[in-house]
Amino acid sequence: MNIIKITDLSMKYDNNPVLNNINLEVKAGEIIGYIGPNGAGKSTTVKIMLGLVTGYTGKVEIFGEDISLGNVDYKRRIGYVPEVADLYDSLTAREYLTFIGSLYGLSDNDVDAKAKELLKLFDIQDVYDQRINTFSKGMRQKVVIISSLLHNPDLLFLDEPLSGLDANTVMVVKELLSLFSEKGKTIFYSSHIMEVVEKISNRIILINKGQIVADGSFETLKDQVHGSTLEQIFNELTGFNQHEEIAKNILSVIEG
Amino acid sequence: MKDFLTLKILDRFQFIFKKFNVDYPTLRRILQIKFIMDTRRIPVSVGKARKQPDRDYFRVSLFIYAFMGFFTMVPIAIVINDPMVLMTYIFGILMFLLLMTVIADFSNVLLDVRDKGIILTKPVNPKVLSVAKFIHIFRYLFLITLSLVGPLTLALLVKYSFLEGFVYALLFTLLFIFEVILLNLFIIVLTTLLYLFILKYFSGEKLKDIINYIQITMTIIIAISYQIIGRAFELTELLDFNITIRWYHYFLMPFWFGAPYKLLFEGNLEASIITLTILTIIIPIVAFIIYTKSIGTFENSLLKLNQTDKQKPYKKERWFIAKLITKTQDEFTFYRFSYQMLKSEREFKLRVYPSLGLSMIFPFIFMFQSGFDLAKISTSNAHLYLYFCAFMMPMVTYMLRFSRSYKATWVFYSTPTKNLSDFKKAALKAFLVRLLIPIYVLESIIFTILFGVRIIPDLVAIFLTIQIFTVICYRIFGNFVPFSQPFENATKGQPLVFFLISAILGIMAGIHYAVTLFPLFIYPYILLLIVVTFIAWKKGLDERNKLDENRRLN
Repeated sequence: MNIIKITDLSMKYDNNPVLNNINLEVKAGEIIGYIGPNGAGKSTTVKIMLGLVTGYTGKVEIFGEDISLGNVDYKRRIGYVPEVADLYDSLTAREYLTFIGSLYGLSDNDVDAKAKELLKLFDIQDVYDQRINTFSKGMRQKVVIISSLLHNPDLLFLDEPLSGLDANTVMVVKELLSLFSEKGKTIFYSSHIMEVVEKISNRIILINKGQIVADGSFETLKDQVHGSTLEQIFNELTGFNQHEEIAKNILSVIEG
Repeated sequence: MKDFLTLKILDRFQFIFKKFNVDYPTLRRILQIKFIMDTRRIPVSVGKARKQPDRDYFRVSLFIYAFMGFFTMVPIAIVINDPMVLMTYIFGILMFLLLMTVIADFSNVLLDVRDKGIILTKPVNPKVLSVAKFIHIFRYLFLITLSLVGPLTLALLVKYSFLEGFVYALLFTLLFIFEVILLNLFIIVLTTLLYLFILKYFSGEKLKDIINYIQITMTIIIAISYQIIGRAFELTELLDFNITIRWYHYFLMPFWFGAPYKLLFEGNLEASIITLTILTIIIPIVAFIIYTKSIGTFENSLLKLNQTDKQKPYKKERWFIAKLITKTQDEFTFYRFSYQMLKSEREFKLRVYPSLGLSMIFPFIFMFQSGFDLAKISTSNAHLYLYFCAFMMPMVTYMLRFSRSYKATWVFYSTPTKNLSDFKKAALKAFLVRLLIPIYVLESIIFTILFGVRIIPDLVAIFLTIQIFTVICYRIFGNFVPFSQPFENATKGQPLVFFLISAILGIMAGIHYAVTLFPLFIYPYILLLIVVTFIAWKKGLDERNKLDENRRLN
């Protein structure tokens, strides 16, 4: 069964097309590197799948169910880490996490025990009862990640989940993602850091100007497009090859 | 986790929510979290009260509302006897206060864009969130209304028990409470629709500006209402009149709310009264229906709050005055920067504008303190009250060091900025040019109209004195890098200090008054002031560079 099935998805904001006829099928256990330049339509796609954006045309099915029908139960199996995560940061980590847990229908005691354990594993157990607005960027990000995992989701949307984390935690999270994949969980991973995407994903989808321009494993993409790194493939497919020229121009502007 | 009375009451009525297919446990949880966050927010009306961790600020503000309600409405209830006239006044005041409060304090609840990202990405029906938002605001508004009208309700009960007997008084207050609930409903709906309208036709930035100005107005009004408490009695005497309904009364909501009293308690069955009574009930209900239909659109329009405005075409500014009053290139740069900060920083405006508004009104309050006889005033020395314009100078020079983006100060340390005292001077000058001088000029014009051209020499003397006073304030409070500290650090028992410093201004005003006792003495006095001002600005502002000290402080 397909975890995600998107058919002919198009979307316009004030008559500007943002997404143009996206078709996509995702199977359980896939780690998808979802990449594209700024403004390509990445986060719009994710927001549509989460039901945050409506007014699209086409069909979006998640866990085999059309999400436009208004049943929100499919979100019970989804975890979401947005690129810029708003938090109710006047709450303490405990209050916030138990709240999020109960939105997923979990009991406070279960969430509390689980959250405490997870904070310990992420090495921030001593701030459990402190308000989030006192946290550093990395601590906040850990809270965001934990809040997306409390309910043991089957599908994860992660947008730059590693930002602000130190190198050691980054290794932990990467390892965790591959364990998730082994367990059959599906991961939708958006990032601008190509090295990471190249390493962790087993399928890469590149979106440009609202269209999918490449879809396949890193190996297949390497064969299709000449380029040895994902960065090069990215540049090639988005038609960007002026980086040397632009850099030179910047230098000459600086030198005046 | 903390439980709330409101939630316990709601528990009793959960069957209603179940009937409308609203998931009650989730609703309850969302509300609980919102209530907790409310206790950690500092309402505008508490204002400068000292921040203490884990204090329920909401409760503190309820006392302030009770106080406000007592002084603004109880005197009227004592003075006016005619039920409809009385209640029209009461609802006029109440409506105004509530509308201001909702906009000032609860805009961030209505306009919370976080809700969507945090809650609707979870398996939560959007309907639950809308209901939660409504109940959240309704509870808040209801508690505030309760505090506001609590003293008044008692006063009404006692008064009409004496005048007409207890049953009459009881029915009178019951009708009042019923109408108040209707009014609450209506206020929320009205505010939401107002925001919806603004968001539809204007940008999110514009809405934030509008809210900012409403917050400022709110603070000024609270302050003034304290000032005129003493005069409330005489004022209400002027207001007692008999109503004949004219066409425009149908557009004034307070009249609607007043009409049922004439209908029910005087048995008046005129068509106009019946129409007004019907409006009281129909309009809030119709508005509520429109609200439930449009709330979905509202959540979507909220996305606009995060969008940036369309770029306005750049207008090159000449900075004539800036070049005139700054000496070095550095100072000019800092002047321009400070000017732009004063213009754009909402939090600074919120903290400082109310005080400035007060200082604008002070001269008039004092002038009219001895009565409203203009002929008598215009021959007096009451124009010297203009000194009160600068009453807020200590506070403002103190506030200049704060900013929301205080952390951005690092740019001054990473750039080869030689002399930060230029910055302090520049910020002070920017404040004078942007805010104080325009206020002073405006007041001077009004005063000249009231008092005649004879006061112009005095106005010049006052202006010069304010300049000297500014330098004094700067010496005391200005020795900090502007915009370099968080607002949370503000107000540490400062008001008393401000007051003491302002006494210096009082002494200067006293000298001025003494001078006016001798005709023509004013001219040599002005000459003297010019010299002192010149020296003060020349010497008083140049001081040793305290950059390192500041660095330590930051």
